[in-house]
Amino acid sequence: MKAPRVGIIGIGQSQFKARRSDANYPELVREAVTLAMGDSGRSLDEIEAVVYSLAPDALLGIGNAERLGVDAVGARNKRFMRINTGGSTGISSLAAAHSHIAAGACELVLVAGADKVGECGDSQTILNKIWDPTYERSLPLGTITMLAMSAIRYMHKYGMTQEDMARIVVKNRAHAALNPNAHLRAPTSIDEVMHSRMIAWPIKLFDACPQSSGGCAMVLASEDYIRRNGLEAVWITGVGHSSESYYIGDRMGIGYSADHADAQALGEACSRAYKMAGVTDPVRQIDTAELYSPFSNTEFHAIEAAGLAPLGQSPRMLREEGCFQIGGRNPVNPSGGVLCANAIAVTAMVRVAEAALQVWGRAGAHQVKGAQRAIASGNGGDHQFFGAMVVEA
Amino acid sequence: MGSRTEVGVIGSAVFAPRDPGRMSLEEALHAVTKHALHDAGIGIDDIDGIVVAANDQLDGRAISIMAASGSVGGVGRDILSTPSGSEHAFVLASLRVRSGMYRTQLVVSWSPLEVDSISETQRLSNDPYYHRALPLDDLSSHALQANALEAKVPGLRAAAVQVTVTNRRHGALAYPEYAPAPREAVLIAGGKMLRWPITDAMVSQPAFAAVALVLASDEWISGRGNCKTAWVHGLGWATETAYLGDRDLSRLPSLQAAAAQAYQEAGVDAQAPKFDLAEVADATPYQELVALEGLGLCPRAQWVDAAQRDAFGRDGPTPTNLSGGALSFNPVFCTGLMRIAEAANQTRGCAGAHQLPGVKTAVAHGASGFAMQYNTVVVFGQHSRETTQ
Repeated sequence: MKAPRVGIIGIGQSQFKARRSDANYPELVREAVTLAMGDSGRSLDEIEAVVYSLAPDALLGIGNAERLGVDAVGARNKRFMRINTGGSTGISSLAAAHSHIAAGACELVLVAGADKVGECGDSQTILNKIWDPTYERSLPLGTITMLAMSAIRYMHKYGMTQEDMARIVVKNRAHAALNPNAHLRAPTSIDEVMHSRMIAWPIKLFDACPQSSGGCAMVLASEDYIRRNGLEAVWITGVGHSSESYYIGDRMGIGYSADHADAQALGEACSRAYKMAGVTDPVRQIDTAELYSPFSNTEFHAIEAAGLAPLGQSPRMLREEGCFQIGGRNPVNPSGGVLCANAIAVTAMVRVAEAALQVWGRAGAHQVKGAQRAIASGNGGDHQFFGAMVVEA
Repeated sequence: MGSRTEVGVIGSAVFAPRDPGRMSLEEALHAVTKHALHDAGIGIDDIDGIVVAANDQLDGRAISIMAASGSVGGVGRDILSTPSGSEHAFVLASLRVRSGMYRTQLVVSWSPLEVDSISETQRLSNDPYYHRALPLDDLSSHALQANALEAKVPGLRAAAVQVTVTNRRHGALAYPEYAPAPREAVLIAGGKMLRWPITDAMVSQPAFAAVALVLASDEWISGRGNCKTAWVHGLGWATETAYLGDRDLSRLPSLQAAAAQAYQEAGVDAQAPKFDLAEVADATPYQELVALEGLGLCPRAQWVDAAQRDAFGRDGPTPTNLSGGALSFNPVFCTGLMRIAEAANQTRGCAGAHQLPGVKTAVAHGASGFAMQYNTVVVFGQHSRETTQ
């Protein structure tokens, strides 16, 4: 059975910053909700359900922090649930909202959340707590060291260099300079990236995403509702999720279940989304991509998992052909991506929001000309949970 | 919506107890998954997607779904998590099947008990500025709710004691190994006071459990044939605000909203709902009564009389919590999904020793959060809605 189409009719996102001392957590959520509701032209009273996007609440220092957000999203006495799949939470929340509408349970659903990663102290100390307390937590594992190991493996397997990684940073910063909501907007150079402080070899400070504070909200509606009310919309035509194993050790050594260099489950998630959307040749059919890549090296395997480059070829294609910059063959992260803003609870939602703005023709200075179909992705856990969404005009 | 995909529960399992020294959480989750799939007569390859519910604070992991992924068969699969409540996992899984995008779903939730202090863990849910300094945990919030109800309903305490007696009687039949708490009214009323008016004998000690359900579409079920199925006729879920000071704790408008949603979907007369049995939230006996009111099954004016008449007993007009409920076995966090599983099993005719003969319809209610912030209602039927209509 083909699921009914679900449209995006409103988008709101903060200007992401290191600190938002002017707004507490529920106020930050409310800021995004107000922007999205205003963009949709609907009122909160019309919203039938809210899917709340909140990744580890330890980053906020409040357990079950979604409870405090109920009034901020106008959910009192309404359908409400929280989703958490780590960094992919935002796209997983949108997938859950999609199910609300596709199931015929609701016509108008709000997805909302916010994070204050920039104000949590050290996110890596908290993120170490995602690992198993017995086997892996005692290692110096954080999301940076975890993906530094992926970078090393990718270097070994495909020949990526540190300069290749820096080239991603330079591209994304140039894109972010055009995006008023990005946190890091200053253009940079390969030389500056190469001379930035080493964090976990080969990931340097500029290769890493910032710790951002801000919110995002989106209003989804059924096709019937959109037609009935004569609304402007773009459409979610493909949804897919997949996951890898929990233990990092399962992705290394002899007999690994998935190669840590690649993003195997992201590839499965993208394939599922493409299949649903009828995309058979992503290079030709995808006009732009917003791919969750918190470190420069991970953008390469995300590009390949999304079918926009053969395995191991994306560094060369960026270096020699500029394929993934605005104006290139398949622009990737025209917003600047996660490398330029990462408020974890909503980062994957922002990927879909930015993809939607692109195919809507509303992306402003970072608009990819003529974009009609885009893919967005999200990664969560220890590079474990992956979501993908195809959005079309 | 006449041609929508129908959803049925075709398998379930509960795994308890667990000796943490001999069995890891992952092994317990694998066991409950295996048992639920076996109950459904299928293998993990038949599962299209998974929704789990776990609580980071109780699990001691920042993203508690991560540990479950391998154990419940999530690797290579579409797996999501609803940490807001175990009952929300059931709702999302149902929606996913109903959307027509998935044939089957596995739902898993659990209640780990290895945290040093459940109370201190729950206190972290308070906002850091105004309420965290208070000794406000789940039990305190439930006690405030009980106080608010006692202030409105004369004689309520005796009714609460009687509800506990009834559920413990049910629990002794359903799960004698899990129901060691007192069953006599005098012991329940006279227990050690925990939070006024809740005594230690009026609640059940937190316990470990993992619970799993298998859901499938009508098309998939008809293709398999001979599945014992509890059909989901109606779903409703809604929330109160978080701040207790903003609520009248003697009322649950979100439950009324959730019941209205579920009853409308199920075609149940909201003014006079009738089910063969109910499984409702009962972290305290007061919760069971306010739940029955919210479901339209017993207004507060009748609580005292109904409890004294044993109306909620197995042979009464409104059989409630024949499993013994959380008053008999209390795996914190996943009690909502436990209620749903129990109602589904009764409808499937798979409830074992506590099966009520001839169950054709059942209603399940789950609640989570302080003083029942989140409320979820599921209406089950023995036949699919299409057949019923």
